[in-house]
Amino acid sequence: MTARPATRRSAPARADGPAAVAALQAALAAENSAVYGYGVAGAHLAGGKRAAAVRNWVAHQNARDALTAMLAARGAQPAAAAAAYELPFSVHGSAAAVALATTLEDRVSAAYLGLVGLSDPGLRAFGARAVRTAALRAAAWRGSTLAFPGLDVPVPRQARAPTAGRGTTAQASPPGSPTPSPPG
Amino acid sequence: MARDATRRRVLAIGAVTLPLAVAGCKGLGALGTPPKPAPGVAIVSHAITVETRLIAHYGAVLAAMPALAGTLRPLLAHHHDHLARLRARLIIPPGSRAPDLASSAASPSSSRSPRAVPGTPAAALGYLRDAENAAADAQLAHLAAAPPSLAQLLASISASEATHAMILGQVRHR
Repeated sequence: MTARPATRRSAPARADGPAAVAALQAALAAENSAVYGYGVAGAHLAGGKRAAAVRNWVAHQNARDALTAMLAARGAQPAAAAAAYELPFSVHGSAAAVALATTLEDRVSAAYLGLVGLSDPGLRAFGARAVRTAALRAAAWRGSTLAFPGLDVPVPRQARAPTAGRGTTAQASPPGSPTPSPPG
Repeated sequence: MARDATRRRVLAIGAVTLPLAVAGCKGLGALGTPPKPAPGVAIVSHAITVETRLIAHYGAVLAAMPALAGTLRPLLAHHHDHLARLRARLIIPPGSRAPDLASSAASPSSSRSPRAVPGTPAAALGYLRDAENAAADAQLAHLAAAPPSLAQLLASISASEATHAMILGQVRHR
């Protein structure tokens, strides 16, 4: 118990150093695509739903910044956001926009669950809080709950597309800001 | 107090009978070093107790207010899913009495223990919302000590319960 506190102290954090960086990068990638995706979704929403999309868009930007700082603190180069992301389905109306927001949150919750699988207790707790936050947002969009958020993630499905869409990627226009974050 | 003691005894009996059942196949020599339960076993048992209690709360509310079934059944179904996923993590030797860990923890405590269900639908929904929030926190109590995949399962179940609490808070009761 009292034998080697010094070596024990740093062991858990060091043990999953590369794994922690990989999990943080995966969470960052999910946040970056959420920031982009909410820009698309927000453009197709109005009223309270648009307000919720803007709130979540800002929250994901803050989360992205926090993860970027955590990676930098570990001496890792945070992966840059892409200029555009392929959407899971075409978004031409509010139903598809809500389905997209739901899918984004499902993916974010799955990414943060990766942090919960690390041995560092601080990152585990951080990940668990983030999984909960994303699951709450997903449930708010979906109007119902999942048994295993982040773990059993439903296949992205557009809520009943009226006609097969022409384009697969909608133009990004984040609410309140003209362009998604450029790479680099 | 007394309830805790009962549960502890049940757990203790499980801890004793499990190695004995395993050792039975190898003869007396095997008794020298009783196998230690895997580190996650106690944590899974705790999580199972939390789920079982929650299911008992739902059962009490549904019995008192069948009109809430439409709202509550989908949430209750998730808790049965949680319970099944947790139980699947416990490998119990055949013939051992340990598989009833959860139900024996449930029957003496949960069936009698839940506070009386409030008399109105609104209050009953609030009662379940509080129970869900408490469970969501309880499932994270041993997060740091759990093996990685169990930690992920517990975090997911906890998040599910937090969403249940949110939905219960939004229900418009007529």
